[in-house]
Amino acid sequence: MANPLADKYADRIQKHMSKYPDKRSAVMPLLYIAQEEYGWLSPDAIVQVAEICEMDPTQVKSIAGFYTMYRESPKGKYWLQVCTDLPCALKGADQFHHDLLAHLGIEEGGTTDDGMFTVEHVMCLAACDRAPMLQCNFGYVENLDMDKMKELLDKWRKEAEAYANAD
Amino acid sequence: MSDNMVKIIIDDVEYEVPAGMNVVDAAKWHASNDIPVFCYHPKMEPVGMCRMCLVEMGTLQRNPETGAVMTDEDGNPLVRWFPKLQTACTQVATDGMVFRTNTQAVVDARENVLEFLLTSHPLDCPICDKGGECPLQNLTMAHGPGESRMNFSDKMKLDKHVPLGDLIFLDEERCIQCGRCVRFQDELVGDDVLAFHERGRTLQIITNSDPGFDTYFSGNTTDICPVGALTTADFRFGARPWELTEVPSIDPHDAAGSNISLSVRLDRDFGGRAMIKRVMPRQNEYVNELWISDKARFGHHFTRSEDRLQKPVVDGKDSDWATAISTIAGLLEGADGDIAAIAGSGMSNEDLFALRSLVTANGGKRLGAWPTTHTGADLVAAVGVGVGTNLSDLGAGDAVLIVASDLEEEVPIWRLRLKGAHDRGAYVVVANARKTRMDDFASATPRYQAGKAAHWLDGIDKADPEVAKALKAAQNLVIVAGAEGLTLDGSRALMQSAANFLIDSGHYGKANNGLMSPLPGPNGMGLHYVGFTPEVTADIAQNPPKVLIVAQAEILSDDPYARAWLDKVETIISLNLFPDAVADMAAIALPIQSFAERDGTFTNGERRVQRFYTAQGPMGDALPAWQALSRISEHMGQGKAKASAAAVMVMMSNELPAFEGMRYRELSRTERQFPDISGDDMYYGGTAYQNKGGLGKVIPTTAEQGETPARADVSLPPVLEVGKGQFVVLPATRLYNLESTFRPSTLVHPRIMSPFVEVNAADAARLDINNGDVVEVKLPDVSVRVRASVNGGAPEGALVLPRHLTDDPTPMTVAVGEIAKV
Repeated sequence: MANPLADKYADRIQKHMSKYPDKRSAVMPLLYIAQEEYGWLSPDAIVQVAEICEMDPTQVKSIAGFYTMYRESPKGKYWLQVCTDLPCALKGADQFHHDLLAHLGIEEGGTTDDGMFTVEHVMCLAACDRAPMLQCNFGYVENLDMDKMKELLDKWRKEAEAYANAD
Repeated sequence: MSDNMVKIIIDDVEYEVPAGMNVVDAAKWHASNDIPVFCYHPKMEPVGMCRMCLVEMGTLQRNPETGAVMTDEDGNPLVRWFPKLQTACTQVATDGMVFRTNTQAVVDARENVLEFLLTSHPLDCPICDKGGECPLQNLTMAHGPGESRMNFSDKMKLDKHVPLGDLIFLDEERCIQCGRCVRFQDELVGDDVLAFHERGRTLQIITNSDPGFDTYFSGNTTDICPVGALTTADFRFGARPWELTEVPSIDPHDAAGSNISLSVRLDRDFGGRAMIKRVMPRQNEYVNELWISDKARFGHHFTRSEDRLQKPVVDGKDSDWATAISTIAGLLEGADGDIAAIAGSGMSNEDLFALRSLVTANGGKRLGAWPTTHTGADLVAAVGVGVGTNLSDLGAGDAVLIVASDLEEEVPIWRLRLKGAHDRGAYVVVANARKTRMDDFASATPRYQAGKAAHWLDGIDKADPEVAKALKAAQNLVIVAGAEGLTLDGSRALMQSAANFLIDSGHYGKANNGLMSPLPGPNGMGLHYVGFTPEVTADIAQNPPKVLIVAQAEILSDDPYARAWLDKVETIISLNLFPDAVADMAAIALPIQSFAERDGTFTNGERRVQRFYTAQGPMGDALPAWQALSRISEHMGQGKAKASAAAVMVMMSNELPAFEGMRYRELSRTERQFPDISGDDMYYGGTAYQNKGGLGKVIPTTAEQGETPARADVSLPPVLEVGKGQFVVLPATRLYNLESTFRPSTLVHPRIMSPFVEVNAADAARLDINNGDVVEVKLPDVSVRVRASVNGGAPEGALVLPRHLTDDPTPMTVAVGEIAKV
């Protein structure tokens, strides 16, 4: 069966594999590669990773389900996780989260119609002193307010457009 | 168990228990103290997830200088208590451990754990299959809170009918996430197709495999599930546990002779007669432990199939027993002693004895066994595994050789238990011409050329010297020798080679050493002990007798070449459950009862004679075969018909030395078995049933009776001549097939493979055959059209052609043939 991941990322996969005695130990970095490629861990992506790691797809799915940074459903290009735990909330993160959702016109956990942004609230991201903050994909954006946020959203939209046109 | 005993104190009483024994087990076995559990299972590694087994734990305080136990003023030992409760299941017994299982702290903990588990458990006990034998229900009654503080509107609403496979359904609401099913599949079966998904309150059991939860052992998870989350497609909503009567029985499908319990009730769907509602495992630690294969569990429908033969048929017309018996008597009298019989392995020991008596009393000598694939039962009787053998004892330092057998498909319970031996460190060798499932659990997988199993084992010292050396050096050695890819002569040669190997290395005549064979059917060894052999069947085929009695042997459905010689038999008398092609040819066809409708005994592959009991109401006029046969004998003035199977056994035990001391009372003896699943604590071992029907009794090998087994020369069969463009065609066994005793279990039909032939990739490329193409396999006088499967299952130059997947019989033994794309 064709395995596009194994072909396209042979070097990176090999690099991860070489770190471990067993192939299956490399499953987590490989899931990140798959997520990078497809934007989320589609059933097909899970099967491909399972094949590469010589594991049962059930076990791979189980790992993807346990960790919150694996996406098991399609999400926006920019996955915004806003921390709304107590210290952040004291600095207005709740309101910020609310405003952000209203600005984008989506519900909590929803994705914008153009497939660009998904907004979720999450538990503590350990950046309480720079609240309100969020995690965009896997990078932190801190000391936010709605004005800054709007600028960022525009910037990301443009970046995505430029990226799409470059292809 | 270890000889090294330690002293532990449970609730102020001191007990001696083996060092390292799990504390839950120790408390139950030695102190009769049932520490409640959900996730712990005595056959699996503890995980301490459910927290139900919390106890107070401490250690005795000792004087650091003298080592003496310190005491308080009243002379009571001083105990250093752990600050928090501990999970008993993750503790192993060491000297000086102290436990309290009845203090307020423990009582509160149990109540709190239960309250927590019940926060989102649905209150659908009245419609739950497990209701009445549910560990959660029982433990809530015993330890739980009297009333709920929970808000019912907060309960989670989840999917209640998730098919994990074709046979098992998951109710997500009921699941308490103990993980027993996940661990069973992972640890014991080695097919990790179940797993947890998500975490915390959203955690669920899932399968993401293709096909889903589809192993041959899936049904066992429903037994060990401590709630009604996993149910079988066969039994769900079928009956309530308290309506059922448990009848001890034996799995009629393979040589393991798994102990089963038939749950029956008088049922409207079966005309008010006793009907099998489900099949459950019955504990026999020597045979099947607490497990049964899905074939045993779901393959019971044939006993009440509408297609069963219900009346004696004389000359093609429905008749009655009186007519049939007098007609048969006439035929036998007119045969001038030219009488022979061929019996299949579905016949009980008693049936076989009655058949033998009838044939020999009328001058017949030839008693043939069916099928003619496996032989060497005499060698199993000589150097088989010794009395007291338990495959669970095999571990580090021991060795197992499995040769010419696809054990997963032939005797799944042996495969399950030998996988365990491998896990415990035994050196497991799986020798075959092709890849089989057992390869995954093998230490070495030598390959021989298709058809040359006997050549390989006979010359193992040269072919695989290291394997041979390791096998010889093993403390205990069990050889499981099948007959895949062999002719009857080849099977003889392989069995003799195996026997020679065991004799040479001294691995015989004692427990956990010797020869086993996956003989087809439940009573392959019984056939041998009563005197039926496949070699005689071959002789019968060469020289057909005047009158041939065919008993539970579906010769024409099995063997494409049998019609030629069966046509030469003047008169056939058939005894069978079903009106098969032999019955059609027969002058008289007698309906006989299946294992479920009467009692009797089978002798399993480890030579254990085991009783099965009457469970189901009768079908039509069918009689037990022994009764039908002994009534014929009586009619011919050859002794009075026996009144019961037990009486036949008494006679057998007097006449056949092998069955000496095998009276029913002996066979129904039981003993306390570890793990002790008796009593009402189903939470401990699951709903596998306590053995009340007997553990059976093993016929000792002749080696154990003082006879020195003789090494015999192996006469290797001629090497198959394979011409250009020809292939060696290996018949293979599939567990799920269309044999008459399994076909009526329609719920398993989606899992029966459609007919296929496995082709090697290199051969397929050369012949331009692709996976899924329709091909014609041409064999001498036979050709079949099947789909080609190119999935790495066949060695180059060979085709693997599974039997019993179509109505057209394919060759039973190895042959040479051709393949062409259609």
